[in-house]
Amino acid sequence: MSNIQFDAYTPTWCPGCGDWGIRVGIKTALQQLGFDPSKVFLSFDIGCSGNMNDFLNGYAMHGLHGRAIPTAIGMKVARHDMPVIVIGGDGGLYGEGGNHFLHACRGNHDITVIVHDNMVYGLTTGQVAPTAEQGYKSKSTPRGIIEQSVNPLALAITQGATFVSQGFAGDARLIIDLIKQAVSHKGFSLVNILQPCVTFNKVNTYQYYLQKTYKLEEGYDPTDMNDALKRSMEVHEEKFPLGVLYKSERPAYHEQIPQLDEPLTLRQRFTDFSKFGEEFV
Amino acid sequence: MKFNWKIGGEAGFGIMTSGLTFSKIATRSGYHIFDYTEYPSLIRGGHNTYEVAFSDEEIHSSIWHVDLLVCLNKDTYELHKHRLTSESMVIYDPEMFEIDIDVKKIVVPFNQIKKDEKIQQQMVNTVAVAASIALLGGDLKLLDDMIHEAFDRKGEEVVNFNLRLAAIGHEHITKNGSQLLDVLKPKENPSKKMVMTGNEMFSLASIPADCRHYASYPMTPASSILAILAAWQYDNGMVVRHPEDEISVINSALGSAHAGVRSSVGTSGGGFALMVESLSYAGVAELPVVVFLSMRPGPATGLPTWTEQGDLMFAVHAGHGEFPKIVLAPGDIDEMAALTLQAYDLADIYQLPVIVLSDKYLSESHKDVEKDTIDKMFAEYIPDRGKIVHDTDMNPYLRYKDQEDGISEMLIPGKEGIYYQANSYEHIEDSHTTEDDTARVQQVNKRNRKTATYLKNHFVEPAFYGDPEADTIFVSWGSMKGPILDAMQLLTHETKKGYGFVHFTYLYPLDEQKIREFFAGKKNQRHILVENNSHAQFGQLLRMQTGITFDETLLKYDGRPFWPEEIRDYVLGVKKTDMSAETPITGTEQAVLAKLEEQM
Repeated sequence: MSNIQFDAYTPTWCPGCGDWGIRVGIKTALQQLGFDPSKVFLSFDIGCSGNMNDFLNGYAMHGLHGRAIPTAIGMKVARHDMPVIVIGGDGGLYGEGGNHFLHACRGNHDITVIVHDNMVYGLTTGQVAPTAEQGYKSKSTPRGIIEQSVNPLALAITQGATFVSQGFAGDARLIIDLIKQAVSHKGFSLVNILQPCVTFNKVNTYQYYLQKTYKLEEGYDPTDMNDALKRSMEVHEEKFPLGVLYKSERPAYHEQIPQLDEPLTLRQRFTDFSKFGEEFV
Repeated sequence: MKFNWKIGGEAGFGIMTSGLTFSKIATRSGYHIFDYTEYPSLIRGGHNTYEVAFSDEEIHSSIWHVDLLVCLNKDTYELHKHRLTSESMVIYDPEMFEIDIDVKKIVVPFNQIKKDEKIQQQMVNTVAVAASIALLGGDLKLLDDMIHEAFDRKGEEVVNFNLRLAAIGHEHITKNGSQLLDVLKPKENPSKKMVMTGNEMFSLASIPADCRHYASYPMTPASSILAILAAWQYDNGMVVRHPEDEISVINSALGSAHAGVRSSVGTSGGGFALMVESLSYAGVAELPVVVFLSMRPGPATGLPTWTEQGDLMFAVHAGHGEFPKIVLAPGDIDEMAALTLQAYDLADIYQLPVIVLSDKYLSESHKDVEKDTIDKMFAEYIPDRGKIVHDTDMNPYLRYKDQEDGISEMLIPGKEGIYYQANSYEHIEDSHTTEDDTARVQQVNKRNRKTATYLKNHFVEPAFYGDPEADTIFVSWGSMKGPILDAMQLLTHETKKGYGFVHFTYLYPLDEQKIREFFAGKKNQRHILVENNSHAQFGQLLRMQTGITFDETLLKYDGRPFWPEEIRDYVLGVKKTDMSAETPITGTEQAVLAKLEEQM
């Protein structure tokens, strides 16, 4: 084990923010899996959650709002032997970067996407996020949001993600377990973490989630897509299942690229290039 | 000897394939070629044309006058007859239309042959190309060879059928007593030439450059790179991807660049617009990336399949905030080969985005190039990754360590005991986020110093062609090189005088002092700034960066490239050829700007 630690700067999040617990969950999961900061790629989005870039060490990118998934895919293309973890919020990953999210599911890229789902934009002081319930009032939607909420779990399942799970910021043990499973899973894994924003979201509070969440029962079969979809739709009844909703086996994106038999970064330079000119003669 | 062959027909007729076949027959016969295609943004039904200018000597651009026009439909004749003279030959089928001007008529009954042989329209091309070969004194065997190359894998029956069609076209000319030329007569021991577009050369050069990840979303006129590299990837190990949009394209390239592999992307103006925020990320996080930007006329969707140099200033200014970047603009495929290699090196050495600026004219026109020359250039090339390293002594690791030359060491992630981030926020030396004023200024200054280092170590002054003492000097950049070089030849032929040409390829940043020295002492010469756009963008850039202004501009922005004849006529102040459909707009740079200001 290396002597370097995941702990970096002391977080600047609001006291009571769910980000604290999520960070501990990520750190602990990675430690328990035997990783250290030199052995993981982290791709941080922009927002309160993305600010974890300075609080969690790793070979990291802290890129642009909404683009943490494409940068993660790029890192995976270059070094598929290293785990790649995306850390961002519902605004960046389901809003600004929603297109990337659905296509990454389709590709079954072997990355883990951890979404801090708190239904608001914290860093820009509380505007509505795409996961907020229809009618949610915020600075940008004073009479309530007109659009219905994004359903990230159903979206991921239907677009081809092969590991779809949901955690709750108040349950660190569950988060650790889900992240460990997600990182170990070969293929696209989603860990959607329900998280109160103690400063800007007065609706979806710890109390709210304690009442509305429930753990998937023993014997729940995550390989049954129909069942998983049914559970994912419970959000419309304000019911939030916690645990691994869906899991399936499908070759990851990089496994279907024969030239990635060894990591792109590490292989020797290809030098037999003169033959490619022949077709132009 | 220069000869201009042109074929036209409906989109879907297979015009592109026939044109390329003809180009290769010319090069395999020992001639130099330059070809040019025009096609609308349609798959079927529009009008497609392909013209091949070939010559004993190197040829750099198209020719206005058409020597042999092959008409597969009436439109070809109607749309191009203003480029014919009584010296021109026209291959046509009187069943489709009659010719009403004075040209040398060559009848080939395409419709009858089509009926007799029960062939599809695409196969008529083989007849047309074979007839052209016969008429020009070429060797039919070269076409037969190409038929074998194209169809051998489809079996003997297909091959023989096509060979028969070629023979029919050929015999029709030789038997019908047409006057035969010898302009395409094979030369002895022709050297091995490649017939390539700018896009193809960028693709080819990206292999020795050790590009390992190419991502692109299709957009004319950059799309062919994606297709070429995608087809080759299983043989050379490059990973070639087509993500969901250009934003994903460039961010995935930045991801792989951070993880240590040379990465590039290709697009046109609209796609480039989507990448702009990410260029800024590459700027602050100091990530190397090569962006191939092939221009087409905008704004917005514009004229998708036509040409313009309209995105120069956009490329130069792309990205919010202040950060260094490099813009290179090759003028032909030889320069494309060299500057592609250079672009990948510069991106790594300076850890920043390098934009290779092309346009439809360069991206999709073929020119011949000696295979040996290119093979040698590639074989001798060794990638220079500058301060990008697999190992380091630094601990704690200072990814953005302040350096005299502005360039910090970039460790390829993976070394044990080390970590750092490619941070889009302003950061301190160890890559953590900061809002501290001193750290901010340190990092801005560090990044800015890269420009000075680049100007000192890698900036290359413009090339000068022709006579330095000439009283008329052209100033231009990128793909205008070809038409200007050929125009100079026409002008010298006409006036028995020399002409000069200042050709820029290292467009941004420009070295003020070197450029001012370059133009010093040339005060009394007539300088003509030639650009394929309406804003005289390079003129603006030159003034912005060096304070140099040119009084006279020759601008064209109808979507078409310049014809050398057009430049000649402008310089001489005469109108020798009626190119009215493509009349260039001329004036002074100031007048152009005044007009723009008025409009604003």
